[in-house]
Amino acid sequence: MLEIKNASKIYGDGAAKVTALDNVSLEVEKGGFVSIMGPSGSGKSTLLNIIGGLERLTSGEIILNGERIDNLTEDAFVAIRRGKIAYVFQQYHLLQSLTALENVLLPLVFYSANGKTEKAMELLKRVGLEKRVNHKPNELSGGEQQRVAIARALVTAPSLILADEPTGNMDKKTGEEIIRLFEELNRDGHTIIVVTHNPEVARITREVVSLQDGRIVSRTKNVGKG
Amino acid sequence: MKLNQIVLKDILRRKRRVLYAALGVVIGTMTVVGVLTIAYAGENRIYGQIEKYGANLTIIPDINSIDTKLGNLSLGTLTVGENYISEANLPKIRDIADGEIRKALDINDNLPIATIAPRLYVNAPVRGITVIISGVLPEDELAIKNWWQMSAGKYIAADNEAIVGAMTAQVLKLKVGDEIPLNGSTKLVIAGILDETGSSDDYQVVVPLITLQKAFGKEGLISSIDIRALCNACPVEIIATALNQNIPGIKAIAVKQIANSEMDLVTKVNRLMISLAGITLIIGVFGVVNTMMSSVHERTRDIGIMRAVGASRRQIMQVFMLEALVIGVIGGVLGYFTGTLLAYGIGPVIFEGVSIRALPQFIPLSLGIAVAVAAVATVYPAIHATRIKIAEAFRSL
Ligand SMILES: Nc1ncnc2c1ncn2[C@@H]1O[C@H](COP(=O)(O)OP(=O)(O)O)[C@@H](O)[C@H]1O
Ligand SMILES: [Mg+2]
Repeated sequence: MLEIKNASKIYGDGAAKVTALDNVSLEVEKGGFVSIMGPSGSGKSTLLNIIGGLERLTSGEIILNGERIDNLTEDAFVAIRRGKIAYVFQQYHLLQSLTALENVLLPLVFYSANGKTEKAMELLKRVGLEKRVNHKPNELSGGEQQRVAIARALVTAPSLILADEPTGNMDKKTGEEIIRLFEELNRDGHTIIVVTHNPEVARITREVVSLQDGRIVSRTKNVGKG
Repeated sequence: MKLNQIVLKDILRRKRRVLYAALGVVIGTMTVVGVLTIAYAGENRIYGQIEKYGANLTIIPDINSIDTKLGNLSLGTLTVGENYISEANLPKIRDIADGEIRKALDINDNLPIATIAPRLYVNAPVRGITVIISGVLPEDELAIKNWWQMSAGKYIAADNEAIVGAMTAQVLKLKVGDEIPLNGSTKLVIAGILDETGSSDDYQVVVPLITLQKAFGKEGLISSIDIRALCNACPVEIIATALNQNIPGIKAIAVKQIANSEMDLVTKVNRLMISLAGITLIIGVFGVVNTMMSSVHERTRDIGIMRAVGASRRQIMQVFMLEALVIGVIGGVLGYFTGTLLAYGIGPVIFEGVSIRALPQFIPLSLGIAVAVAAVATVYPAIHATRIKIAEAFRSL
């Protein structure tokens, strides 16, 4: 479903030139569950960002469901973000002025003028937050906020979920709960790419891709997982 | 949930910042509303004075000086004309005045329309002090001076009755029922005393025209004629021109012309104030641009979040324009009230003695200006917001 061909991303030029991604190729099947690991600064976020259209490639191709998306205009990418790709961030990135329920509804507000509350409620229940729907982010714990963010990612029924260190801000126990949630989502058929430092997370995915200096240094299939 | 709800919730969370932005709008609209309210009051005061003058048109004797010449030889200057208008002109004046009004308003009957009040002035001593005695047609005079009130007694009801102005009564120690002689022979009874008017009427003795004419041997003579057309659309200037062309020895002046020079001054002051208001408006715009710009910076992360979950650049623009609308409405309402207060405060300083009234008809104007200012000031910051790149929005933290 997702194919990355010879992707390179170079920031700046001259002395300040940084090659964040260096000729990376990768494919992810439908229903796949891939973790991306590597030291800090190895280009994990950059890889995720070019898939999600948050940043542009310097060279190479990205093909989603048979269509090239790397050369789309900014406005054309809006449509992809709305329906096909959803993000989960390390810092949750919820709007502070909105309640949990409203945050989950947010993508629908931009998608189709009117949000469907029942669907958002169902998703909040699914992530175990049915008792917190009217709480604002600052009234929720880190783990709870990340659940809201996951429910928000699911509300448009995307074919691909990108998560950048989703457990990075959590204690071990909370992190494990979030990991389990991703595992369930994958079992339900969602394709997931997750950037992580956490070996626990890597263990539950079907494939672990290791990056170093913007290059893929290893790809390991987890036995019994794929 | 809809986009505008999100905007409103966000505004409620950032009340202070939004009020601060509204302040820029308030400053501009306040000045505009204040200035217009004062300008309106200034013009109104002049209209009020014209109204109070009673007449739309005044006729006085035409006194010309003509250079007499014989060939190229100057023989000096000769004053021609009289200090009086003949009473015989009155029917003709009525014909011309009513005729022009009928033409202008498309009236077909022949009933009299304009009020025509002739007056004869004589300076004569009363109780040893020289005063102006006005001979009038009592009913017509009262029709023109409809604000006259008696502080004592009654209005003139017979040919041997007179009324006196407040000051005259005070200075000459006159009471209702007192008798005053006129030019020796004729005896007049004071029927009433006028309430103070603040005009020259306070210093006069008003008597029936015919009585004054007889007492001083001026039968058939009048000093001036006031004409009141009692309609706003009456062609006062046209009547004046027609009278001047058709009746020799008189000069008809539209009262509007008298007011024109004073109106000119008011117009100039108003223009100055309005340009000052324009400048504050522009300053206000820059203030709002500034606040909106910091608002965009403050919300860089939120903009990134909205974009990441699928907002288009147009929708980000919409978010800020909706906020501008709210700021505009708040600013417009506050601007109207503070502007009116401003007018109450400084109006009487700019136009001495002017009475300021709140003008609700400026509410839509105030809202319109405020929303326009907020919208114009938000365009640039909003465009800036749409250009923020999602990845950079998150990195900037
Ligand atoms: N906008 C940018 N401008 C310049 N350099 C950048 C930018 N974004 C990332 N980089 C650099 O690219 C490299 C990869 O960054 P990133 O993908 O964020 O790494 P990771 O997520 O693996 O820690 C790093 O060296 C980082 O400093
Ligand atoms: Mg990273």
